[in-house]
Amino acid sequence: MSVIAVTRLELRRLFVRPLAWVLAALTLAQLAWRFTLLLGGFLAGQIKLAALPGGPGYTDLVGVPMLSSILTGAVLPFGVAELALVIVPLLTMSVIAGERSNGTLPLWFATGLPASRIVLGKYLALMLWLVLWLALALAMPLSLAHGATLDWGKLAAASLGLLLTLATLAAIGVACSAFASHASIAASVALTLGLVLAGVNIAAQRAGATHGVFDWLSLSNHLETLLRGLVSTADIAWFLIVIVVALALATHRLAAEKERG
Amino acid sequence: MSAPTAVLELDHITRHRAGRPAVSGLTLRLDSGQVLGLLGVNGAGKSTTLAMIAGALVPDSGGIRLNGADFLERPELARRVIGWLPERAPLWPELTVSEHLDAHGRLRGLHGAGLAQAHRRIVERLELGTLSRRLAGVLSQGQRQRLGLACALLHGPRLLVLDEPANALDPVQVAALREVIREQAAAGTAIILSTHLLTEVTAACDRVAILHEGQLRYDATIDGADHKALEQTFFDIAMRGNGSNDRMQAA
Repeated sequence: MSVIAVTRLELRRLFVRPLAWVLAALTLAQLAWRFTLLLGGFLAGQIKLAALPGGPGYTDLVGVPMLSSILTGAVLPFGVAELALVIVPLLTMSVIAGERSNGTLPLWFATGLPASRIVLGKYLALMLWLVLWLALALAMPLSLAHGATLDWGKLAAASLGLLLTLATLAAIGVACSAFASHASIAASVALTLGLVLAGVNIAAQRAGATHGVFDWLSLSNHLETLLRGLVSTADIAWFLIVIVVALALATHRLAAEKERG
Repeated sequence: MSAPTAVLELDHITRHRAGRPAVSGLTLRLDSGQVLGLLGVNGAGKSTTLAMIAGALVPDSGGIRLNGADFLERPELARRVIGWLPERAPLWPELTVSEHLDAHGRLRGLHGAGLAQAHRRIVERLELGTLSRRLAGVLSQGQRQRLGLACALLHGPRLLVLDEPANALDPVQVAALREVIREQAAAGTAIILSTHLLTEVTAACDRVAILHEGQLRYDATIDGADHKALEQTFFDIAMRGNGSNDRMQAA
């Protein structure tokens, strides 16, 4: 019940902040542009594609590329995953660091709620916002579902991948906000960590390091498998491990702050 | 007549801040309906003491009991038992007055009809009706204090912790605040308020404790006390702390 109270309050605060609305408007407009380009490309090559047995369909050329550029390589305009690397740190930066600078953190401690519930409540509110954002992004390719042949399984796996990516980035953002003294520092660190996690395997390959640990560390690697429609326990476990570790760190930092004052 | 029940018991609590003891071995008991004025100069340890009582800060050592239960073992007691107004009422600038009250109520375990009733009651009592839809970020300092007090009182706490509550209030608002304090005390709420103004203590409290350099130096009821002597005691303690002992004695 107390977690719900925290989530409700945080969600309310999120929805009355102009930042959340501006981010939603800008990113959705950009995604609509991407959708139009992807759809145009699909329609232009439709006759050629129809002749190919087992060739890529609407899901491969429009649905999944809307979510990420990993498989297509065409980065601009950004897909949901690329945008998430930027907007999640902006959304999470003030979750705890903002309370600290606003002087409202002691108020949370004085509610008698354990740090874990405060962190979890705030995290759930962010996730609700992000799920809504993802749903609006997915609504674009889904709006043509009645006229196109959708590979529902592949799209569901890709959506799950995106959901886990958003959850991971949000957890990292919350942890950064718990450790940073200012929201801007939290955003910078969360953005850097997100970019490092996303590109660690590519950077390692370019540097000549081919150790499997870099592939394992890479968020893109785990997301790519899901975008291809393959749901593997190992990938889901990777996302869950990062989420749990990040939230545990945030909880530990908050509890320590109450002790330390 | 039944013996008064202890709402708050501090047992040798100590807390260090920036490497020095902000509060040192403080022992105190507060009964229901009692209004204790915690008096001290700036930096005496008043706010640290109140933050520990409110559950916002954990003591390095010592114990705190709330209604006989170990508060350090059961910090969730703060949720229903304590109402806290810190020195500068911390508010979320993007939320309205009404949203603040709802949020505080829910965080303190109120919901549904109980929350709505408590909300209505406190808005009426503290005359916040005209401010209900105003954002906290645009409130004046006095209005912020009133909202902070409303949030602290909303859930009907048994212990009210007020840190310099009269700061930034005009004389009319100070009088209104004293009335609220008296009402709450009459209803059985134990109240502890900090101030550095002796007049504030003599006007609103029935007991005074003087804190200096984190230590309790004086604790007595005010009823019938010689205010002049109390003033001298406070002055004496404060001056001694500043190393003016010789001058005092010479005088």
